[in-house]
Amino acid sequence: MAFWGQMSAFGRAQLRLTTAAKKGLGDPVLAELVVLRASQLNRCAFCIDMHVKNLHEAGVEPRRIDLLPAWEETGDLYTAKERAALALTEAVTVLTDGFVPDDVYATAAAHFDETELAHLLAVIVAINNWNRVNVTIRQPPGEEL
Amino acid sequence: MRWVQRAPEVYQAMIALDAAARKGVDPGLAELVKIRASQLNKCAFCLDMHLTDARKAGESEERLQLLVAWAEAPDHYTAKERAALALTEAITVLTDGFVPDDVYATAAAQFDETELAQLIALITTINAWNRFGVSTRMTPGKA
Repeated sequence: MAFWGQMSAFGRAQLRLTTAAKKGLGDPVLAELVVLRASQLNRCAFCIDMHVKNLHEAGVEPRRIDLLPAWEETGDLYTAKERAALALTEAVTVLTDGFVPDDVYATAAAHFDETELAHLLAVIVAINNWNRVNVTIRQPPGEEL
Repeated sequence: MRWVQRAPEVYQAMIALDAAARKGVDPGLAELVKIRASQLNKCAFCLDMHLTDARKAGESEERLQLLVAWAEAPDHYTAKERAALALTEAITVLTDGFVPDDVYATAAAQFDETELAQLIALITTINAWNRFGVSTRMTPGKA
């Protein structure tokens, strides 16, 4: 389906949302980790492909990319701040199966101030939106939108 | 958390996204889709808002109450509405089951490509609002 060609205003708004969210968070590597983890949970091949490449290009240690699906089991490979963000990412992404637990939110709120947290949440929401569209339209990895 | 005040540019982008998503979608169908997604994502604020909007637009009480079990009340919804609701559920519960080919094909049989693209955008956008609403514990009836 030629979704993005037809939905240009929607695409522009989605880009605007993503840019505003990432700018407000102010940590590009953390944003990429969050976005990759959400794309893994939503099984968006197009999105996974794109964000793995972005992380490699940003010079992130390959082990931190490879072990992301099992981040909880990796000891100190991720900082406490990253782990708090990843837990929030998982809770907000798998929303129909478990809500967003108070303790997950509280742990994130302990590591991020309110403005950062609002933008972290926006990064998570924005990637969920990209994931939902690209999964539904079966966007193949590596192709231009 | 007052995310709208903390991230005003994000909120403005969400408003633009919402306007682009709902363009040309039948308003009655749009409310059914938004209510069903909000039920699945358990967003009380969103549910309250869209039930109120649907009632104001004259939607029947019976169709609103049966929406949680629409598949078991097929004669209360048109084939087009049922196709849209099935797609809504598949896209919303994405981490537990993908978007099955047959659900997509049924929707594609009821909507032309332009309508289907708008419907997908509408479904993902209410999911976005739901995520903000649930995560920040927005309270029903308060902006």
